Amino acid sequence: MPLPSLSRRTVRSLAALSVGVAALAVGQRVYASDHMDTPETELNPRMDINDVYAFPGASADRIALVVTTSSPIAGQNASFDPNLLYQIKVDNTGDAVEDLVFQVTFDAGVGAAQRYSVRGPVAPAMTGTKTMLATGGTVITGTVGSTAGSATGIQVFAGLRADPFVIDLEQFFNIIPDRRPSTGPLAAQSGPPATSFRMPGVDFLKPFNALAIAIELPKSALQSSTAADAKFGVWSTISR
Amino acid sequence: MRFPFLPRTLCVALALPLLAACSDDATDGGSTSPNVARTFNQVERLGNPLVSEVFFMKRDHGLHNSTAPATDVVNGFGDKIKAFTNAFNRGPVIANTLAAVLVPDMLLVYPNRAGNTAGWLSWALAAGYGGRTIKDDVVDAGLTAIFGKLLDPSATVLPGLTSDNISTSTRTYPTTFPYLEAAR
Repeated sequence: MPLPSLSRRTVRSLAALSVGVAALAVGQRVYASDHMDTPETELNPRMDINDVYAFPGASADRIALVVTTSSPIAGQNASFDPNLLYQIKVDNTGDAVEDLVFQVTFDAGVGAAQRYSVRGPVAPAMTGTKTMLATGGTVITGTVGSTAGSATGIQVFAGLRADPFVIDLEQFFNIIPDRRPSTGPLAAQSGPPATSFRMPGVDFLKPFNALAIAIELPKSALQSSTAADAKFGVWSTISR
Repeated sequence: MRFPFLPRTLCVALALPLLAACSDDATDGGSTSPNVARTFNQVERLGNPLVSEVFFMKRDHGLHNSTAPATDVVNGFGDKIKAFTNAFNRGPVIANTLAAVLVPDMLLVYPNRAGNTAGWLSWALAAGYGGRTIKDDVVDAGLTAIFGKLLDPSATVLPGLTSDNISTSTRTYPTTFPYLEAAR
């Protein structure tokens, strides 16, 4: 299989690095899929978005938006970063520019004592990579680990949950070693360089948790049109 | 003024968790409403799964994280996806299809289509709702699209790469809000 030449070089260098790096003790950090994709997010895992989901909610007229961050967390004690702004953005006009945003912030509490605020959906004061907090629109506050809002209006949750993502991450890195994190246990080669997945695969993230944000609301709040083929785009960002 | 050094001394002496409580930083006051006049700068983003972590070289992950979907086309994200599939000789049909559905990098939702058709890229593959559900096996979906015949019936299948051989059926996802399993 024609792997890019850089990957082959990386395989060799990682194989050399792996000598003496056997500290894969339980509880140490391991690294996941988006999951630690830059040195900056490796330094602050709470700056890391793992996955974004958008799917029908409790009824056909509702939609759920879910974002997971900070995975993999081993154990039950973790908090969102109070200095970061977590956002879910929605483009409902087809220009790839956000028309509505949800802005989620946290206080300096720890674990279940931390509180969250969810603003939105609201038109952002600025679009693109710079952002300010919205001063208008709905604000829902709650305690991390619990649900707030209304099951018929805007319902929100923020807290520690099992990471829902399923991947044989270790073997993925053996196949495409360029994607490895630059630090931590998975930065080192954990097996021979591979050209295929293994059978059976390993549900690598199953033991681990993520800090999740979930929002459910009437889909009409996000649509600019009720046409049968109306659409919108969803993505999530973290800013500091 | 009898003990002008006392607060700081206590801070130094007490254990780490108490250090934060001793801080005189006004932003540590427990508010969930940071200064609204502050400008935040994006350091991370994610739309579709796999886009940066699979298709982009590690050196390009920072570009993805520090830019917005509106500039994905001019930043050559489609070409980066094509470069990945070309490295595996997957041919132009697969390369062009993936670039077309993943750039700009947003999770596309067609909310007025049937909810039971929700799933990653179902909007493109089956005129479905799209979005992404918690139980979507996006790894197998992505691998099948890249290394299988899904997008190009004439493509050569690379059997060892079309699945990571682990399924979301190993999990039990709740069906009620917030739809995520309790922490381990």
